[in-house]
Amino acid sequence: MGDGLAVPALGDRSIPNHVHDDRRATEWRLVQDAQGGDLAAFERLYRDNERRVFAVCMRLSADPALAEELTQEVFIRAWRKLGSFRGQSAFSSWLYPLTVNVGLTERRSRRRRLARIVPTDDATTLEPPTPAPTPETGFDLEKAMAGLPPGARHVFVLHDVEGRTHDEIAALLGIAVGTSKAQLHRARKLLREALAS
Amino acid sequence: MTCREMDDRLDEWVDDTLPGVERREAEAHLAACTDCRQQEQRLRELLTHAAALPRSVSPPRDLWPGIAESLEGQRAWSWPRFAAWPPALAVAAAVVIALGAVLFGRPSPAPVHTVVIPSPAVSEGARLHPAALEMGSGLVAMETDYQAAANALMEALLERQDEMEPETLASVQQNLAVIDQALAEVHRALEKDPNRPELGRMLVSTHRKRVDVLRKMVRLSTAL
Repeated sequence: MGDGLAVPALGDRSIPNHVHDDRRATEWRLVQDAQGGDLAAFERLYRDNERRVFAVCMRLSADPALAEELTQEVFIRAWRKLGSFRGQSAFSSWLYPLTVNVGLTERRSRRRRLARIVPTDDATTLEPPTPAPTPETGFDLEKAMAGLPPGARHVFVLHDVEGRTHDEIAALLGIAVGTSKAQLHRARKLLREALAS
Repeated sequence: MTCREMDDRLDEWVDDTLPGVERREAEAHLAACTDCRQQEQRLRELLTHAAALPRSVSPPRDLWPGIAESLEGQRAWSWPRFAAWPPALAVAAAVVIALGAVLFGRPSPAPVHTVVIPSPAVSEGARLHPAALEMGSGLVAMETDYQAAANALMEALLERQDEMEPETLASVQQNLAVIDQALAEVHRALEKDPNRPELGRMLVSTHRKRVDVLRKMVRLSTAL
């Protein structure tokens, strides 16, 4: 993973440009310090990004406890790879493909060992974690997403929650754009059925 | 358009990516079909929920201490890695000297089989300064492989020492000393500038040369 993958920055677009510039400059100084071995600087980068990384890991893995480990793994790998970051993008943008990669890699390896989740196409069996249901419908989307088959869940999370395009998802997951669309269709259909039940 | 066809195109319809003709057909179908309109509403509701989910979620506990512990552990052994090369080279030099002494029939300061020791810097794996790790992790793996190969060849050579000509053995010693010196220089350069790809290539090429020399010598000794 490097700077080459074109994914949108994760920053707040409502913030004026000069504030963004200041933040980027501060962030770049922190990156350079961390590249020089300054762990305190790296901790600040971690503090600025941990919640985004944790959210992505939690939704990709569908396992909050595992997401804690994955989040730690993302930052450990980021430290190791930090020398390759040249500041062409926001640190969060550089971190994003790594986050997805760790989430999926770990998921694959752990799935082999633990088989924690049994994929299903039966929407009535989508029985996942326990966040707050939406007030209007009582529908718990986090829970329903976690019960999706992994491939469908990954694409749904990246496309409909994270707002990535099919081209970006195909690059991130190493799949064809058509596969990404098919998985999204599958996920949406299952979730629609869950929403209706 | 049938309901099945509408269902197949529902994603593109709500994502507004349906081509012109199909879009008009979908529009007409939805205007006439209550079931499909209900599915469309469900999908839009679902997508609204998804888009409204928080993009940031706090972990239930502070994960930094675990990360810091892991990174401190790495730093403890990664930072002195290059500093550890001189002793590593000293070991390599000792191997060469001991090999030469044995091969030349002089008394060895220690039993030969105890001299062939994997370089600590190599056997400790991917422990590098973070700035060097993008390139360095691959290099460490490569060095480990080459070191293992070199060690195996060294052992094979030592087993055949009595069957080899002194001139041949002198050549082994000389070549390995030159190559180890070159390796030391490449590592010093990498320490100063860990991200120069040409240094990585040079390191690979030097290791390959070292193994090639040893392999040739083993082959030669086997052919004797």
